[in-house]
Formats: sequence, C-alpha cells, structure tokens
Amino acid sequence: MDSVASYQRFPSIKMREVKGDYCKFELRNTDASMANALRRVMIAEVPTIAIDLVEIEVNSSVLNDEFIAHRLGLIPLTSERAMSMRFSRDCDACDGDGQCEYCSVEYYLRVKCHGDQTLDVTSKDLLSSDPSVRPVDFADPSAGIDSTDTRGIIIVKLRRGQELRLRAIARKGIGKDHAKWSPAATVTFMYEPEIYINDALMDTLTPAEKRSLVESSPTKVFEYDETTQQVLVVDPEAYTYDEEVIKKAEAMGKPGVIEIHAKEDSFIFTVESTGAIKASQLVLNAIDVLKQKLDAVRLSEDTVEADDQFGELGAHMRGG
Amino acid sequence: MGVDEKFNSIHEKPENRIEIDKQFLSAPVKKAVDKFQLVPEYLKARGLARQHLDSFNYFVGTEIKKIVEANNTIKSSQNENIWLKYTNVRIDEPSTVINAVTVPITPHNCRLSDLTYSAPIKVDVVYCNGTGYINQAKSNVTIGRMPIMLRSSHCVLYGKDEEELAKLGECPLDPGGYFIIKGTEKVILIQEQLSKNRIIIDTDKKGCVQASVTSSTEVTKTKTVIRMEKEKIYLYLNQFKGKVPIMVVMKAMGMESDQEVVQMVGRDPRYGALILPSIEECASKGVYTQREALEFLEKELTRLPYSSVHNQREGRTMSILRDIFIANVRVTQNNFRAKCIYVAVMLRRMMEAILNKDTMDDKDYVGNKRLEVSGQLLSLLFEDLFKTMNDEARKIIDITLSKQSRASRLDIIQFITRDSISMGLERTISTGNFDVKRFRMHRKGMTQLVGRLSYIQALGSMTKISPQFEKSRKVSGPRALQPSQWGMLCPCDTPEGESCGLVKNLALLTHVTTDQDEGPIISLCYCLGVEDLELLSGEELHMPNSFLVMLNGLILGKHLKPQRFANAMRKLRRAGKINNFVSIFVNEKQHCVYIASDGGRVCRPLVIADKGISRIKENHMRELKDGVRTFDSFLADGLIEYLDVNEENNALIALYEKDATHETTHIEIEPFTILGYCAGLIPYPHHNQSPRNTYQCAMGKQAMGHIAHNQLCRMDTLIYLLVYPQRPLLTTRTIELISYDKLGAGQNATVAVMSYSGYDIEDAIVMNKSSLDRGFGRCIVMKKTTAVCQKYENGASDRIVRPQREGWDANKMQILDDDGLAAPGEIIRPLDIYINKESPKVTKGTATNSSELKDSDYKNTRQSYKGSEGETGAVDRVALCSDRSGNMSIQFMIRQTRRPEVGDKFSSRHGQKGVCGTIVQQEDFPFSERGICPDLIMNPHGFPSRMTVGKMIELLGGKAGVSCGRFHYGSAFGEESGHADTVGSISETLVEHGFSYCGKDFIYSGITGMPLEAYVFMGPIYYQKLKHMVMDKMHARGNGPKVMMTRQPTEGRSRNGGLRVGEMERDCLIAYGASMLIYERLMKSSDPFEVQVCRKCGLLGYYSFKLKSGICSTCKSGANMSTMKLPYACKLLIQELQSMNIVPRLKLTEA
Repeated sequence: MDSVASYQRFPSIKMREVKGDYCKFELRNTDASMANALRRVMIAEVPTIAIDLVEIEVNSSVLNDEFIAHRLGLIPLTSERAMSMRFSRDCDACDGDGQCEYCSVEYYLRVKCHGDQTLDVTSKDLLSSDPSVRPVDFADPSAGIDSTDTRGIIIVKLRRGQELRLRAIARKGIGKDHAKWSPAATVTFMYEPEIYINDALMDTLTPAEKRSLVESSPTKVFEYDETTQQVLVVDPEAYTYDEEVIKKAEAMGKPGVIEIHAKEDSFIFTVESTGAIKASQLVLNAIDVLKQKLDAVRLSEDTVEADDQFGELGAHMRGG
Repeated sequence: MGVDEKFNSIHEKPENRIEIDKQFLSAPVKKAVDKFQLVPEYLKARGLARQHLDSFNYFVGTEIKKIVEANNTIKSSQNENIWLKYTNVRIDEPSTVINAVTVPITPHNCRLSDLTYSAPIKVDVVYCNGTGYINQAKSNVTIGRMPIMLRSSHCVLYGKDEEELAKLGECPLDPGGYFIIKGTEKVILIQEQLSKNRIIIDTDKKGCVQASVTSSTEVTKTKTVIRMEKEKIYLYLNQFKGKVPIMVVMKAMGMESDQEVVQMVGRDPRYGALILPSIEECASKGVYTQREALEFLEKELTRLPYSSVHNQREGRTMSILRDIFIANVRVTQNNFRAKCIYVAVMLRRMMEAILNKDTMDDKDYVGNKRLEVSGQLLSLLFEDLFKTMNDEARKIIDITLSKQSRASRLDIIQFITRDSISMGLERTISTGNFDVKRFRMHRKGMTQLVGRLSYIQALGSMTKISPQFEKSRKVSGPRALQPSQWGMLCPCDTPEGESCGLVKNLALLTHVTTDQDEGPIISLCYCLGVEDLELLSGEELHMPNSFLVMLNGLILGKHLKPQRFANAMRKLRRAGKINNFVSIFVNEKQHCVYIASDGGRVCRPLVIADKGISRIKENHMRELKDGVRTFDSFLADGLIEYLDVNEENNALIALYEKDATHETTHIEIEPFTILGYCAGLIPYPHHNQSPRNTYQCAMGKQAMGHIAHNQLCRMDTLIYLLVYPQRPLLTTRTIELISYDKLGAGQNATVAVMSYSGYDIEDAIVMNKSSLDRGFGRCIVMKKTTAVCQKYENGASDRIVRPQREGWDANKMQILDDDGLAAPGEIIRPLDIYINKESPKVTKGTATNSSELKDSDYKNTRQSYKGSEGETGAVDRVALCSDRSGNMSIQFMIRQTRRPEVGDKFSSRHGQKGVCGTIVQQEDFPFSERGICPDLIMNPHGFPSRMTVGKMIELLGGKAGVSCGRFHYGSAFGEESGHADTVGSISETLVEHGFSYCGKDFIYSGITGMPLEAYVFMGPIYYQKLKHMVMDKMHARGNGPKVMMTRQPTEGRSRNGGLRVGEMERDCLIAYGASMLIYERLMKSSDPFEVQVCRKCGLLGYYSFKLKSGICSTCKSGANMSTMKLPYACKLLIQELQSMNIVPRLKLTEA
C-alpha cells in the first residue's frame, strides 16, 4: 500500500453478523499487525473462568481422578464476570483456595448411580456457588427436552453403585496459561479479496469455457449467468486464495481474464466462542485487553527505567 | 468411487437380468464378485490366534490320547504280576487346589494372583499290585496338571459371548492362544523347521551333493545323510564311526544283487555310470553277501559308552538299520524292501541333482518347511514327561521289590500321581527352555511374554515365527523374501537388525495344519489305482511314464496317470471325503505325486475356479450376507479350498476374476490378505517404500493406546495407556477385522507439512500447546510395586502396622491408611512410604509365637516410592493376594498421567518417527482462513528420501473423511476392489467441500498475521505416541553413588550413575590436547586416591598416623617414602597383580 506513508490509522469495525457464540465483522483501515494482535488476544489473553482445582472425595467411576479433573477443567463456564474478577495470584483477600468470592467460584458434584441404566454425569450436575458462573448450556430452546444437547457435557458415565463426589474451584485465567481458559473456539481472519474481471477478455471466451472457468474454483465465488452469458462474482469472500481460477485462465491461454488481489488494509474476521462469553463480547473484551496492554507500555513512559530499557525505541513510542 | 459404483451396479442388476435374461444365464459373465465378506467370516469362525488354538485343541483332544495309548503300561521287570495300564486320559476343567479343595479358576484370577491356569490330567487305570492277582480299576486319577491355553476347547472362556466374557473379567477382543504361568502370560512361539521325513537334496560345505532325511517317529528322531564324495556314495549316520559305503548298507539290507540296485535307481546309463564307483568299492572291500555286509558294518559301529540291551541274536547293526536308519520307513518282519526302495529313490534324486543342478532342493522354500505350533511342542514335552514318569515309576517299583523287607504294601498308584509332569510343563513354559532328552532337543527362548504394551503387540506375538537357524550366520538366503511366502507369511513384518528376515509373521489368512490320520488316505490311494510298492519290481519302479506316489515322505507305490489320480483326490477333498488340509501335489520334474497330511504345513484358502470362472457367484455372497452360509459351508460345497505351498505349484492363481484365463484354477480372495496383522494397520502400504512398512510393523507394537477392554483391571508390571485414543480416520479392512478401531493406539492429528521455528529439523515435530492442553498425546503410565509379608521358619512373620501420625516420620506416611497401606487415590511423591511394614529381628531358630513378640522385636522394613524429583504419581489400586508360598503379597499400582513434553517420541503409521522438538502456543501457530489450526507441524524434508506416498494419501483421505463424514479406506492393493479410496475420488470430495484438490491450504502466519508464501499441505494423519518418553530416560548427576570395589561412579540411570567419558571421547580430548580436562575427568572427578610409594622398592606402602609418615611394609622403613595421587582403580590393579605373583614397581622421578 504505497498510498499510506504515515502509520497513523483509524481502524474501524463493522459488525456483520452477531449470533450468540458466533460473529463476523470487518476490520478496515489497518494492517495485518493490528488484525493479528486482535486475533491473538482473543485466543490467548481474554480472561475466562474455568475449573482449576479439584478435590475428590469419592471416585469409584471408571475414569481416574486426573482424568476427571482434566475433563472438568475443559468445561466452559459462563464468564461474563471474568473481566471484573481478580486473578487468584493477585487476590489480596485469600490465597486462592476458593474461600474468596473475588477470585474463585466453588462447585460441588455429588452423583451416585442407583439404577441399572448407566448414568451420565454431565456439566448440569455441577452445583455452583455463584449462579452467574455456571457451565455453558448449549441447549437449543427449539429442541425437545430429551435432545442430546440439553443434557450438558458428559463428564463420566456411572454404573450401578458407582459414585462421584468432588469439590471444584474455578478461577480466572487466560488462554496463554491453559487452553481451558481460552474463550475462543475459532478466531480467524482473511484479507478481503478484490476480484476484477476483465470484461473485454472475458467476452472472447466461449460459453463452455466460461462455465469451466467458473467451475474451476473449489468454492462458489463466480456464477455463470446462462441468459446474459456473463461471469458474475457472487461471493468474493468465498474465495480461498487458491488461485485455481487464475491457473485455469492461464491454461486456457487467457491470463488476466480474472485478477484477484488481497486488500491489504481490510480484514474479515470470523469469531466463534466456546460459549464462555458471547462472541461479540469477546471482541470487545479483546479490545479492552489490548488497550490495557498498550496502557501498560505507556505507563512505563513515566519511569526512568523504561528509558534505559527501551532506549531509542522508548522515545519512538512516545511519538518522538 | 469404487464403492459407489458397485453400489449402483448392484441396484441396476435386476433390471439388466430381466432384459437380457438368456444371455445373462448362458454367458460366463466376468463380473467380479466381492469376495471380501469371506475374510471377516473366516476370522470370525477361526479367531485371530487360530494356529495356536487349533493345534492345542488337537493336542488335548486327540494327540494326548495317542501318546498315553502308545505308552500305556508300566510293568515291573521283577514281578510280572505288578503292572499298571492306562485305559483312558482326559483333561478336566481348569482348577486349582486351595487347602486340599479343588476350586475352579478363571484366567483373570490367575493373572491377578500369580497362579497357573491349568487343568488336571485325569486317567483311568487298571492295575495289579501283585497281591492275589486281582485286577483293580480306578478312574479319575490325576497324574499332573496341564496348562490350558486361553480360548481353547478346554478353557472356561470357550464359546462364551461378550457379556459372559466381561463377567469373567476378560477382554472379548483378546485373541487367546497363550498360557498363564504363575500369573504371567506366556506364548509358545511358532517354530520354523525344515520338514521331517522328507528327502532334501543339497550340497554340503565342500560342495558335495547329499541327500538327507530327518526322520521323526513316535520313538526316535534321527538324521540320515547319503553323500557323494569323490564319486563314491557314502552313508553318514551317527551310529557309525565314519562314513559307510552305501552299497554295503544295501547289501546288509538284503539287496545282494547289484543289478537290482541299478534297476531300482533307474536304468539310465548316466545313473549307472555314477553308481559304478560305489559298486566297485563295495566289491573291493570283499563284501558280496548280506552276512559279509553285516559283519563289515559291525566293525564300523561306534562303541557304546555303556552296554545297552539289544538283541544279541541278530547283532546291533541289524537293529540300527531297522530302527534308526531312515526310521520313518517302517520295517515289518525284517522285510527291508521298502527301505531299499527308499534309499534307491534317494540315490536317484541325488544323481539327478548331480546331472542337473536345477533339481536341487531349496531349503528356504516355504514348502520344505514346517511350523511347529504350541500344540505340537507341548505334545512333545508331555510325551517325554509322561515316559519319564512311567520309567521312574518302574524303577522305583523294581527298587522297592528288590529290597528284602518291605514295611508297607506296595501301591502302584502313588508312583504316577507325583507332580513331575505339572512341574515339567510349568517350568518349560515359564522359562522357555525346552529340554527333551529323548529327542535330543535343547532349545532356548521358545516362549515369550505376551507383550501388553499395545493390543497390536499382543496380536503380533501370536503370529511370530522364530527361526531354527542361529542368528549369527552370515548367509543371506534364509533372510531373503521367498516368492513362496506369498499369502502365507507377511512380507513386511520382520524385525530390523540381527534377526532381520529370520523372524517372520503369519499373514492374515494363513492356517497351520495339524496331523491327520494317514490310514484312510493310504487305502483311498490304493483304491484310486496306486500300485503297491510291494508288488513292484525294481525295474518297474521308474518306468518313464509312471509317477511315484508319496504320502508324507513315504513311498506308497506308483501310478500311471498322475494327473487323473490327483484330480480324483482333489475332487474327493472338495467333496469333503478326505480332510480339507490334505495336499496333493504333482511334481512333474521329479515324476512324483506328493500327498501330505502332516502337521505344520502352512496353507491358505483360495476360491476355486473352473476354467477361469469363479465358483463363487453373487448368490453365494448374498447367502453369506443373509447369514444362511458360513465359511465352512463354502468349504463343504467345494467353492473354496485350502492350498498349501506345494500344491500352489499345481495351481494357476489369478489375483482378480478379471485376470482369470482359461487355465486359471484358483482366484485369490482378497489381495490385502498377504499382509499380516501389523502391516494391515498401514493405510496405502502399496504406495510406500517397502522398508517404511517394515519400520511401522515394529513401531506399531510400541504405540500407546488401549491394550484391552479389561485394561484397568489388569495388574501388569507396566501399563502404558492413552487418555483419549481414537479410531483412525483412514482405516483399512484389516483394522476392522482385528478390531483396531475398538482398541486404537493413536490420535488423528491435523498435520501441517511445513517448516516452522527450526525446532523441526531431523524429523522433530512442533506441537500445538493448546492441543496438548486439550488432551492430545496425554498418557497414563502405571507401574506395579509389590511387597510381600514374609513368614519365617521360626513361625514369626512380617507385620503391617498403623502409621505414625505425628513425629519424625509422619510426613512421609501421609498417604497411608490406618491399615498401614497406601490408600488408593492418594498422590504419592518420591520417598513417600507406601507400606508400613515391620519384620521380626529374629527369623531363625526355635519356634516362636508371633503374638508373644514385643514391638521391640521388630525392625522397620518400610518401603518407599522410588523415583526422581517430580515423578509424582497417584496410587491407583491396592490388591492383596496370597502368593505361591502362602505369604500375603500386596500389589500397588502407581499411576502417572503425563502430557507430551519436548523429546517424547511420536510416529505416523508410515515408519516416520520423530520427537517433539518444541511446543508452541496456539496463537503463534499458523491458521487457515477457515480457522483450522494444526495440532502439529512436520518438516517436509521427511518426504523426499523416505518416499512415503501412503502418508500423503492418508492425509488427503483423512481430510476428505472429516469433510464428508465418512471413514475412508486405504487397504493394501484395495483400489482395484474398492477397499481403498482412490486419490481421484478423494480429490473430488475435497473440491466438493471447498478445499483444493491437492490438499494444500492457504495459510496465515500466526505470528505476523501475513499469509505464507506457499500453500501448505495440511490435513489429519493418525499419529501414535510411542512408549519412549523423556521422563523415563532423562538423566544427569553431579555427585553420586560409587561402586565399592573401584570407587568409580556407578553405571546406568537406575543407579543414578555417572556419564562415562569413554575411549573415543578420551581420544578426542587427547587429539585436542586438553590434558588437564582428561586429568580432571578420568582422575579427579572419578576415583582419586593418595598412595605412599617407596622410592627404593617401588611398592605401595601405607601411611602411619602414629609416626605421621609413610611406611613401606616391604622395606620395613619410612625413609624413602613419597606421596602421590593415583586413580583408585590403578591401585587396585597393582594389588591384584601382586596377588597373582606379579610385582609392578613404580619408578618415581622428579617432574
């Protein structure tokens, strides 16, 4: 992008689709470093709450203690509170053993199988001390009660006489420490493609050639209109930068009939959350975290040590 | 697409049939019938360890009766009226005796409490103790205990369904075929041997042509060699001092006329010319008649170390010729004719080989080999033990009878109820040392522990064939892949290194035969026009158009129309009139028809084709699908038959129906069945470079996963389990057949083939930390430790006491329960005590009552968990049982859950192993615009030199599989028959789901967010975690223990030993000139020692602390002493030399 000489940008976000744990938005007027920073923060640094300590009283199930503890840890918990909670290592009120409401949430699980049927112990059986932090409910309200989704996440299955009794403590954490604290299932972005069809050259193609050109793309980017005999771009974002169309055009002896460029200053983000926080909230939290991180850098501006540490870079950061 | 096409064509079929009905019925339609369904049917009916089970069932069902019947009487040589006769034998239900009560046992019980899974051998006897000549009968006398093979006909698991097996604590997928001896699972390896009772023509070391026969009868095993040396033919038999002219032997057997011998060998003048020198030699020795020959041979006999009982009347030579020389040819009433003809045939084949080198036998040819399976080996062992017991019983009876005064009445029964048989069987199977003196068999390492690291390892040990040759031999012949192994032995599964090519594995459908009764076959042969040997003159024997008929190496007679005879026999076999496993083989070259019914031959099922048209039609397969047919009904209806390696030579086998021509006699069932169990796991093995498949066969056995459905109930010394094993996305038919999809050993990892971070060179892989957090490659290691509560001879015994809850040791006893044992579920750290045991101080001498002992009479013998820092585990289970000597034994399973760390070993299914090079945060990992982020990154340099194209296709197929939701197949050679998806169809699926047809993706860097320059080949590949983990190997030390004798650091990780600066490391340091470093490493940090040396005599003295100076004990003075430093090992050497009268003197000079 030769036109941009200054690094000063005014990035803008345009939400396209927001659906609970899924959202899609455009990030414009910035470059890859910004987009990637946002992505990385969403994956690794937006805090959530997850079970971190498990105290097992009775476990006569087939799975061993560590196994169950690991499974419990991976259950997403609703973490709207997470941003305002304290990390247990920074908590002054307690030493992180679950006695303190500022940094931890306590859970109890007490299940025993009495019947002949195998009993599924699920995330629904976890009793929370804080109703705002509970296992994520994937239930689709439209589905019936006995649909598999409504039963929660299976922790272990019990046979007659087997029992599981435990106390678990959930804490705030970030995905960098353990993937269980990552609120993001999928965070990805792509450069927005710019597709340019050389109409003059396109007209030299026969309808059959046009059709094969359209079909050469593994994703449905183009469409061939039978009536107008024109190749149309229906969904540029379906393009996966596979260059199949361009290769096809070259093979047909018409290079340049379609040209595709990536717009280097606009990105299309797709965010799916684990359910711990809403996808839209995830984006906002990520921006917050990013801001805090930048603030942390700026804070060091005042200190003398920072100058020693960063030297010229420090001066540069201050805009000098 | 192959599957879809088939699917469509089946549906189209009925319409076609209506339209062109007549044509369809009349024309031999070359439409391939999918015969695959036969394979699961076969395996379902026979099991995965069928070779072992069949042979064991045959042994306990039939063979044992024969053995007992052949040796059924014990008769005293002193008193004719004292005898015992066995009338019947059988094997009872598996049981054990606890406090004189017989209790039935289950295999899993035996595994847990270190018992032997065995059943009593019961006999019915009739006997007479000599008193009053009354015959007494007694039934159900136990003469010993027979270890029972799991899943055999005498096992409690036999015929049980899945639920019943689960109740018995048994895994339904376990193949059985092994024994449980003292709690350990032992399998008797299949032994490969040269066939018995067959003439083998080959050359000795000097290049002389020889014919050898290894005879094996119920009585003896002998080896007869006839060799041509300097144009004369000699017999080598170890009863004779040296070589014996063969013509003399012929004369001794009554073949006095030279003419007849020549006739028997054949009248071809070339044969006459070859045999002439031998005849002349015989004449020159002055041997013309049988008597002269016998006298000549008598002189050649080896001296017997002790005079044995032999028939004095006819001389020893006669009995040797009758019973030892080619023992498999029986001599009745001193009629040696059959033996003479046999020798003549041997001579004839030798001469043929001399005239034409091509007729030499190939020792490595699979048809000349026999596989001895556990049943055969056990029967040999049992026979020996049974005979020994009878002989001993006879000896004891004779000794007791010879004693003048007998206090008690003699009871013959008591001599046969000793436990020599049980002990012998148990010891042999548990040590693996077969010592059968009767047959001069001394073999080691015949049994092996069933490997339980993975399910595949357990299966692999069932099909393993151990070689007869010693491994040191440098010949390549036996190691090479033999074309005759096709379909019988797996071409891939062999170890690397010294036993490469010698240790083999059975293929998927191989069957190993058991012995069949010869009687009916012999009479059938005569009925079908075989001319009896007895009625033939020597001249008639080798008529140009006549074929000799041999049954199991014995000459039955001759037949003029061998092909017709063979066809008739085969027809009868297909009709079920003679056993399925009898092989009929017409050898045109040797003018022989070989019929074999002996055990140990390898054979495999094939579809019969008439003039190239398969007998199996669509309707048969449909019936099979509907459950109307079974595999056995296919056999019974003559649609399928078993061919052994020899008979395969008479068959023309087409790979597919479409390849069949007019001459085709058989069609393969499925080509992938040429591979064994281990090689069957590899997807697309036919696209890989062959050694890669061999490597995977070795590595598949080290992969962690589920080992059995009862894995959490097992108490093995070491168990490796994977926390979340998966079923491979790209499966093969073999995987389904052996249920690897139920007991998997690996996980489907999304692999990106690219370079990343530089920590991926030399096959290392980069792993995604988030994947590891979520459970990828996480494994459970369980180790067993045992403590025994010993009882001592004075009646005192160890005791387990309540732990101290406070005081000095209390923190080490935190995990103990009030009963003094570690509580299950507790976290155990190094040095934690897991059993608070005390032992009495006095364990010998007079009997004491343990209740009288005071606390002070006991000393601590606590056991604590050993393991280096950080190796914490959890107590998984504690089991108490009594061991064999009645002591209480307490077993602890200690469990560790490990997540992958840098240095752990992983491997794909294509012989591509690598260690984890680094672990990277997910956000730094590359990602695609769909949001796919790989679990691990593999360096592309792994591909060009390895040429594992199969791995690439696995990636493609796996990717297509996850996109379309169908498991894809990659069976060996399966593209043709629809058992493997083609790259073409996979690519189509990929494109359908919006991927590039070549499997490459457009990827962004996770660090910069910029797109990567190249498209990256990415998709799921099944990865195995191998048992080699850094945690078990990592080792370093500073100061530490030293060996007492040399005062040098100990060796090995387990002893916290030092790292040796060896010879070559030393050489490097010398070359570099780092003399002080050498001094430091080899002396200061190892075993420095200060000695007093006498300058006068040069010997070592000592330092006297009284006089504060060194003193030389030789010179008796301290005048000329010097102090110097030596390695302690050097001082030791000097003293050791002195102790053997060598005086090393040190000469000191000022430096």
